[in-house]
Amino acid sequence: MSKAILVMGGRVIDPAGGHDAEGDVLIVDGRFAAIGKHTESAIRKQHPQVSEVTTVDARGLVVAPGLIDLRVHMGEPGHDSEETIAHGAEVAVHGGFTTVACLPDTDPPLDNVAAALYVKRQSEKAGFAEVHPVCALTRNREGKELAEIGQLIEAGAVAFSDEQRATDEPGGVLRGMRYAAMFDRAVIEYAQDPGLATGAMNAGFEATLAGLPGMPAVAEELAIAQACMFAREAGCHYHAAKLTTRNAVRAVKRARKLKVKVTAEVCAHHLAFTDAVVRRAYDTNFKVFPPFRTSGDIAWLKRGLQEGVIDCISSGHRPVPPQEKELEFGRAPFGVVGLETTLAAVITHLVETGDLTLPEALAKLTINPARVMRLHHKKGAIQPGFDGDLCLFDPAAKWEVTPDALASARKNSPFIGATLTGRAKFTITRGKVFAL
Amino acid sequence: MPETAARAWTRKDLLGLEELSRAEIEHVLDTATGFKEISTRSIKKAPALRGKVVLNLFFEPSTRTKTSFSLAAQRLSADIVDIVKEASSAVKGESLVDTGRNLEAMGVDIVIIRHQQAGAPALLARSLDACVVNAGDGTHEHPTQGLLDIFTMREKLGDLTGRKIALVGDITHSRVARSNIWGLRSLGAEVGLIGPKTLIPGAFKELGVNIHHNLDEVLDHYDVFNILRIQMERQNKGLFPSVREYHYLYGIDSKRLSRMKSGVVIMHPGPINRGIEISHEVADGENSVILRQVSNGLAVRMAVLMLVQSARESHGG
Repeated sequence: MSKAILVMGGRVIDPAGGHDAEGDVLIVDGRFAAIGKHTESAIRKQHPQVSEVTTVDARGLVVAPGLIDLRVHMGEPGHDSEETIAHGAEVAVHGGFTTVACLPDTDPPLDNVAAALYVKRQSEKAGFAEVHPVCALTRNREGKELAEIGQLIEAGAVAFSDEQRATDEPGGVLRGMRYAAMFDRAVIEYAQDPGLATGAMNAGFEATLAGLPGMPAVAEELAIAQACMFAREAGCHYHAAKLTTRNAVRAVKRARKLKVKVTAEVCAHHLAFTDAVVRRAYDTNFKVFPPFRTSGDIAWLKRGLQEGVIDCISSGHRPVPPQEKELEFGRAPFGVVGLETTLAAVITHLVETGDLTLPEALAKLTINPARVMRLHHKKGAIQPGFDGDLCLFDPAAKWEVTPDALASARKNSPFIGATLTGRAKFTITRGKVFAL
Repeated sequence: MPETAARAWTRKDLLGLEELSRAEIEHVLDTATGFKEISTRSIKKAPALRGKVVLNLFFEPSTRTKTSFSLAAQRLSADIVDIVKEASSAVKGESLVDTGRNLEAMGVDIVIIRHQQAGAPALLARSLDACVVNAGDGTHEHPTQGLLDIFTMREKLGDLTGRKIALVGDITHSRVARSNIWGLRSLGAEVGLIGPKTLIPGAFKELGVNIHHNLDEVLDHYDVFNILRIQMERQNKGLFPSVREYHYLYGIDSKRLSRMKSGVVIMHPGPINRGIEISHEVADGENSVILRQVSNGLAVRMAVLMLVQSARESHGG
């Protein structure tokens, strides 16, 4: 016998299907059955196999496809003290995410079939958000020998990345892109020229006054442009992760005009903070890579989002234990948590500000990342037969980000102390309802 | 101390001159004037910090600044403890915050910190109840040096409003320059930065200071030339071609001095590279106040130590 979930009376937004209207969503056996008006008796008539109907009252809430995050760092394997896959997947559910991609910069790296299968197994065992591995493009992420990409795809790899090393070994990246192109998988890299991008914060006025070494914006433009050229040569889909600068947005735009298969992404926190936050207190929760830039850069990121040059918004979630963050700014590691603040940051800094409509913003959190991960045939949209993943959120709920308000074991959020708008209330993953 | 003093200064820490108002800076300088007089007495001690423990926590080598703080604390009757990097737990992997908390648990009242990392004093200040005085953090600030430079300028020139002050040399890597800029701007002085383009960040223009790359064109414009030490290691990084070329373009010698205003004030925070950024004759000449800066440093640091401690006590700390 079957089980059904009826999500009633919400504002259903499905960016992929162009749908935005009040209505109900019916999930049967973990998959979407229909959007529209439903009654229990009608359901039983249409789906006679259904023995049990769970109703979720979504009045006042937005009902969107479950959010999809392309950029989550799990500590596991290697640094389980920072975050396990199971707990990270639970934190994701708190943020409204039903699918996340985890990055290969683990110890050992996700460069082999056993590691990819391990991620999938931990994810399935936990039963929260689905965690899909982004596997290394080359062995040990060294940019030299190729990883077994064909077999890694079989094991569940959704994309490939050497994470942080796009330009360290340019030859390796180019070969990797050529090889990955055979399998129609994206190569994801965030790119910073390694010789120039040394420093603790954005180079410029603020770094000059803070007395901290700066990373110049040109390091990003250079590396993104280079990776786009490689993608052109290789005929590969390149996904430019974590854009932060005006000229990197322009570089992607130029590449698109030249018909390079390039998609791009921004982390939510890069839309919310400028480099001016650093000097206030040298708070290492503002230490992130790439660094917070200027208001001019943010304006260009927003423009890139509006014009569709930037397709996706990610959390860039990277938990760091407090003993590592409570250091001198120059010595502390980079990284911020973001799974639980991404939706609210998007609403607060893009939707409330009038830069994007809610459906436009949600596309960048659902169907677009699903396409990059090649999961768009079953995720990222509310269509019959697709996985029954939903994010039900209150778009007007104001909440203060405090350490206690976060489920994450690590509290290294730049939003601590900020008041944001928008909060997930229910997350539904393939038939499992989590009331938050 | 008089009642007014306590109200004019409310900070338990001195982290930089950026955050200080004109009134606060002037209050420190006025307090220092009072302490300078003590140095001329045969008995050079005052009881202001009797029973207090002052800690010199130095993660970078320093002779002048550390000695100056030590003498300042001693003249105020405090007990003083020195910890230098080699002897500290920093090499054993203890974090700065843990080191600070341990020392505080031993009853330290004022921590004077010098550190290679910008922002390290701010980190310590928010982790401790003790007062924290920044004795130089990375390339961020060196507030007591800035204050003593300004104190010395004020002694020579009076009110600095509209006065023209030049800083010459490696501004990019100079915490002294940053503290000078903030303090002098607050006091209404005109500030000029002189040096090669590779050693002066253009960002400073946004603070409303002048930037010059040709020293000879502005020799007669400024009332004060505060000459910064040129670090030899910058040459290796390709920021200037050679010491000889630096001296040729930016070295202050008698010839250049003769083209400056007659009462021009020549300063240098030390230690001096004689014959490179400043010639022997100019360093020891009658326009030079380099040694006066050193003795003023003592009075300024006495003022700072006393003010932060009394602010902490009046907060009930």
